[in-house]
Amino acid sequence: MTLSPLTRKKLQRFKSIKRGYYAFILFATLIVISLFAEILVNSRALAVHYQGRYFFPIYGAMIPGTTFGLDYPYETNYRELSRQFQIAGGADWVWMPPVPFNPLENDLQTDAYPPFPPSLKDRHFLGTDTSARDIVARLVYGFRIAIFFSLTLLVVNYLAGVTVGCAMGYWGGKFDLFFQRIIEIWSNIPFLYVIIIISSIVAPNFFLLILIMVFFGWTSLTWTLRTVTYKERAREYVLAAKALGASDFRIVFKHIIPNTVSVIVTYAPFSVSGGIVALTSLDYLGFGLAPPTPSWGELLQQGWDNMDAWWIVGSVIAAMVLTLILVTFIGEAVREAFDPKLHSTYE
Amino acid sequence: MPKLMVLISGLAVLILSGLAQAGSKLPEDIQWLTNDSDPVYAASDAVKGGTLNTAILSFPMTFRTVGPDSNGSFRSAILDNDLSLINIHPNTLNIIPELATHWAFGKDKKSMYFKLNPNARWSDGKPVTGPDYAFTLEFMRSPHIVAPWYNDYFTQEIDSVIVFDDYTIAVVGTRAEPDLHLKLGINPTPRHFYGTLGPDFVARYNWKVVPNTGSYQIDDFQTGKHIRFKRKKDWWAQDLKYFKNRFNVDRVHYTVIRDFNMLWEYFKKGKIDVFGLTIPKYWHDKTQIPIFEKGYAQRIWFFNDTQQSAMGLWLNQDRDIFKDTNVRYAFSHAMNIEKVIDQVLRGDYFRLEQAFMGYGPYTNDTVRARRFDLEKVDHCMKASGWRRGPDGIWEKEGKRFSVEATYGFEEHTPRLVVLKEEAKKAGIELLLQQSDPTAAFKKFLEKNFDVAWMGWSTSLRPQYWEHFHSINAHKPQTNNITNTDDPEMDKLIDAYRNSLDEKERIRLSLEIQQKIHDIGMFVPTFMVPYIREACWRWWRLPDPPGTRHSGSLFDPFNSATGGMFWYDKKLHDETLDAMKSDRAFEPVTRIDQTYLKSPQGGDSR
Repeated sequence: MTLSPLTRKKLQRFKSIKRGYYAFILFATLIVISLFAEILVNSRALAVHYQGRYFFPIYGAMIPGTTFGLDYPYETNYRELSRQFQIAGGADWVWMPPVPFNPLENDLQTDAYPPFPPSLKDRHFLGTDTSARDIVARLVYGFRIAIFFSLTLLVVNYLAGVTVGCAMGYWGGKFDLFFQRIIEIWSNIPFLYVIIIISSIVAPNFFLLILIMVFFGWTSLTWTLRTVTYKERAREYVLAAKALGASDFRIVFKHIIPNTVSVIVTYAPFSVSGGIVALTSLDYLGFGLAPPTPSWGELLQQGWDNMDAWWIVGSVIAAMVLTLILVTFIGEAVREAFDPKLHSTYE
Repeated sequence: MPKLMVLISGLAVLILSGLAQAGSKLPEDIQWLTNDSDPVYAASDAVKGGTLNTAILSFPMTFRTVGPDSNGSFRSAILDNDLSLINIHPNTLNIIPELATHWAFGKDKKSMYFKLNPNARWSDGKPVTGPDYAFTLEFMRSPHIVAPWYNDYFTQEIDSVIVFDDYTIAVVGTRAEPDLHLKLGINPTPRHFYGTLGPDFVARYNWKVVPNTGSYQIDDFQTGKHIRFKRKKDWWAQDLKYFKNRFNVDRVHYTVIRDFNMLWEYFKKGKIDVFGLTIPKYWHDKTQIPIFEKGYAQRIWFFNDTQQSAMGLWLNQDRDIFKDTNVRYAFSHAMNIEKVIDQVLRGDYFRLEQAFMGYGPYTNDTVRARRFDLEKVDHCMKASGWRRGPDGIWEKEGKRFSVEATYGFEEHTPRLVVLKEEAKKAGIELLLQQSDPTAAFKKFLEKNFDVAWMGWSTSLRPQYWEHFHSINAHKPQTNNITNTDDPEMDKLIDAYRNSLDEKERIRLSLEIQQKIHDIGMFVPTFMVPYIREACWRWWRLPDPPGTRHSGSLFDPFNSATGGMFWYDKKLHDETLDAMKSDRAFEPVTRIDQTYLKSPQGGDSR
């Protein structure tokens, strides 16, 4: 694939904006790392050496305790196993991930009540929440859910928004008029109420929630796309394509959309942060993903309930601020890099 | 014109009571009873005045007390202001007068006679007379109220109301039975208000304030926001022995505060006056704040001795997975309630052994809830041919043992997540679904759930028919949410309902409780044989602060146990002054063990 000189120039410009560029690298790294969260944050061991055999429990079926000579048939508690191997002092060993907890398990103690403060000894680096679940684990897995939620939302929203927006701008006339009214009415449906009603009937899962949010989110992009398409349609190259006998479909997808891409790309990072905030606030209100899904909104809610457990609210706010700042930096850089004023020439 | 109307309606009442009179004469050999010798439990130094500000989590779906969506928690606030003919003394459990002054038991063991209090008035000033009781029957039997339970109850259980004159009536049950007084002490219904019922009843009376006979009446409300009750000036019953010095505040103001944490913030700011501290986190941690340390607000821990709510996990037997007894047993053995009590609830709650604890001789103390036991889970599941799948969850013929637990309170999430994690060890996946309390309850009544996390309110004697009789199974809007449909159970329940003999009833009651345990559709969780509450310093309570059967110390309306607190203006001013000048009082934590009973069966925990 070859990039047009114009695009290459834009990318170069993006790279030259250091703040945005490094934010982008950091953010991309975070996403990639979160994909492998199971290796870093997990109650399952990375590797177990037991009686000359090796086990790699991270991915795959659960291994019952009986496999390791323990007396229970449910999933092995590898932290406990590690301790036992150490006491026994044999050749067996357990290699645990840096954070040896999964986001759902309750690490309750007999003499105290959660939330527990951060402790290096217990390896709860940011403490636990009110159900004694590790906050690092909840943050990491919560991040993964939030970011992929937001990216999926973005793609689906933009698919719908761009298509309808372009169609409105390209065909114009009655079609445009009709859809304008539809969208005006559509955007007047109160989003939050509908979410509340739906989640009181069914507990929304990941895809249902995306569906609901797309249902209300796709309209916002149509206006911009419609305007941009109107502008592009009047240009000579469209006229030329038409004169050559290109179909509407071809003109829209081959000629117009590539020329509106700068607008779309500029909006994207802000939609990502919007998506994260939306999911977090829905979870905060209790209308998001069903408990016990790890979620930042739920942590925020807990933090609000337990202000004295500063580590809860501190961690989640720090994580949110960091993520949103990164996304905003990227967004600003993209906007600047794709700013048409730098590239277009006006007669 | 109005005069004419009054004349006509008066005439109608005369004719109707005349009709009822025909052919029925008051038997001469009955013995009139009353009760003015039991101890009073209100404080003699209580004074009237003040406003109790309190809160509800969601606005009621209707003010009706019958019909669709009426079975919500706010219903009791309305019903408590509807007095009955008689009531039960909360400490002695003897009959005490309410709207009737005297009562008598018929020789047939199925009717009771009542002399009505001629002073009794509806809140619109009309006297409460015999025909109002006859109307209750007509009302409750009407198809227009869309309340099959009541239609059925007032047909199957209550045969008729005989009006001898305006102030003497008889209520006749359909069959002879013991504890007649618990059934026949019905409420009047204002005929003059309802007139003839029509098919528009449900919609028409959704938000109507119906005349009542109790001490308070709704005088202002705004849908979704607040409801205010006002004390009746010169309430007809205010000087009756068991009502004297009670129902003291002038107004009771319910504000809708949809968030439980907000409720606590409101309390801390003094915007609501009382707050329930039963949840351990609140009692132990959250009250470690200046308003308590400086004595502006107080904590009260009051042990009662009363029927325990049937709290726990109710399994819907119309779901395929729960049709198998073994699976239900396995589910019970997979719930680690003890761990929740010890490690989440700080050992403050007690394990509920079965659905009907605290009913005295009617409680079967030998029934023990199934304890967390992985071996038993294994045994039960294997007996039904299930095997553990690759993720450790039981599987059979493509089905997974994955069920959804529906609950209504955010505060219960920490308990459920622990249960969920423990259940996973037992090979059961518990999916948690939290929804708004009203929505959750609606789901339960419509039998649209796998596992319901809820508790039922209690009554003086165990009620089995509504929860466990097959007649109420497989249809929406009945309390048999588990869809229990067992011919033997039906037989026992029918026998229990039909028996006249107290001893036999007790025996049947114990048997039914054993049967409930054997069917295993209910996993009992916690019981709380006490009340813990916080109130601001200017609220005063008698000594002891509650009764044996009090469910709350600050219940404003309950005609047996409510309204015992009062507002002390002097203390209020003093406290406000102290708060302004940052002067502290001694912190107060009042623990009252007057009615403390050691948990039944010794090691209930």
